[in-house]
Amino acid sequence: MAYDFERMRAVANKVAVVGIGDTNYGEDYRSNGATRRRGAPGAKDAYTYAAEAFQMALKDSGLKKSDIDGVIVDGNLKSEVTCELFGLQPTWGSTQSGGADGMIPVAVMAILAGHCNTVAIIKGTSQRADNAQWGGTRAGRGRLGEYYSYPWGFNSQGAQHALMWQHYMDTYNKKEEDLFVIPFNARRHAMKNPNAVFRSELTFENWWNSRYICAPLRLLDYTMINDGGACFILRRADLCADLPKTPVLVNGFSWETAPHASGLMDRVGDNYYTITKRAADAAYSMAQITPKDVDQFQVYDAFSDILLWGLEACGHAPRGEGFDFIGKHAENLDLTGELPSMTSGGHQSECYIQGWSQLVEAVRQVRHDHEGTDRQVKDCNQSFYIHPGGEGPHTILFNRG
Amino acid sequence: MVEKRPPRTLGPFHDTFWEYCNKEEFRLQKCTDCGYMQYPPSPMCPECMSMTHTWEPIKGEGTIISHCTFHRQYFPECPPPWHVILVQLDEGPSFTQNPKDQGLPIEELKAGTRVKVAFLDAEDEAGEFKIPVWETVK
Repeated sequence: MAYDFERMRAVANKVAVVGIGDTNYGEDYRSNGATRRRGAPGAKDAYTYAAEAFQMALKDSGLKKSDIDGVIVDGNLKSEVTCELFGLQPTWGSTQSGGADGMIPVAVMAILAGHCNTVAIIKGTSQRADNAQWGGTRAGRGRLGEYYSYPWGFNSQGAQHALMWQHYMDTYNKKEEDLFVIPFNARRHAMKNPNAVFRSELTFENWWNSRYICAPLRLLDYTMINDGGACFILRRADLCADLPKTPVLVNGFSWETAPHASGLMDRVGDNYYTITKRAADAAYSMAQITPKDVDQFQVYDAFSDILLWGLEACGHAPRGEGFDFIGKHAENLDLTGELPSMTSGGHQSECYIQGWSQLVEAVRQVRHDHEGTDRQVKDCNQSFYIHPGGEGPHTILFNRG
Repeated sequence: MVEKRPPRTLGPFHDTFWEYCNKEEFRLQKCTDCGYMQYPPSPMCPECMSMTHTWEPIKGEGTIISHCTFHRQYFPECPPPWHVILVQLDEGPSFTQNPKDQGLPIEELKAGTRVKVAFLDAEDEAGEFKIPVWETVK
């Protein structure tokens, strides 16, 4: 099977994001602190975060709750429970694992297949309060490929990325210190974002002196773990005329698979390049745009190396030359640079809500919500989000229409 | 010395892999119909969907693709700094395993380094077994 661009283009620009919600990640991180555990006084649970985000998104959309006839919830929640607690009776209701990057395409397809007109995609997680683990025998809800490698002590997504970054350094003659520009850029943007968890300046020394978790990656190359929620309301684009906010059109997406779950050759040996390029090229073709048309770039940056894989495979830099594009002080990723990236701080500095916050920020930039502040990308009409990792690269493209 | 290790994957096909390891033989499933050699153990040939295979000895040599070193301890059996290498066998399959000597300087684990298989006495919650590890070839 090859992509059928004609059919893909027929669904581009037909569904719009009309409402967004995200909880106050910074405030919740500070108040729902490390000593708070599940059930502790004042600790919120996943459904509370989800309810907060849903309330915000519905208000943002200008729609009524009864307009919601489709619901997709993140795997931390259950759709039947969410619908009961929130009083929803959708004709399309499902629970899906993974990020919003997988749910937005499903929402588009459910709407265009005639099952519903308006879908709420809802996430809530109390992963920090629950002391969730991504390494060790308690990690990996379900059977990740690395499971086979336990007798050799190999586990955790971070370790996969440590192998990838080491492979890239060896292949393209780079040094560990070259990576700093990426977390630096994320933090620089989080410093302007009152919702972000980490907002103090990140110096080279802070970063370099942070301890190794799995070398060559350091603590400050890893995402944080925090609690929160996020929500998107998507609606048939031809039903958006009277809504208060500029509808943001979904004009491209792709959902590829990286099959070497334990062999890792597509992930480490190839740095996800071939598969990510295929996902990106498919999305560009669906949206009928080129890399030059992208005004802002968002990546599922759970580890510092990931942005690099995204830049190169999405056609912003030749392979092996990602750092040349980024610039010595990450100037090309800054708000005024050639490709403003991680403009709300990403997973390293804003929050870790599994890619949702990057997509919320993408909508804000394309709607020009930050106009009049120092956070708005000038004339931002096209966003490009990619998750070049995990089970496979996913893309989501938003356009102002 | 018997090293404690985190749990093996046991069960269909995996059991056979480990039984050969216990005889200090590193064998892979080879498809009877198309000859494809695969890891991890699987009920079906990923190339041709054949459900029949034999367990074929491999040459036992490969190349390091990358390495990483755990400094955070995830498993009590693997004290940091703990080296892991991604090895690609000359026969094609790849996996994340260990250098035989955890004390090796990191420079000796660089991508492109040639390695050959060795076995260590090990024990996990299911009992004693032999675990394949990799020696650098000078």
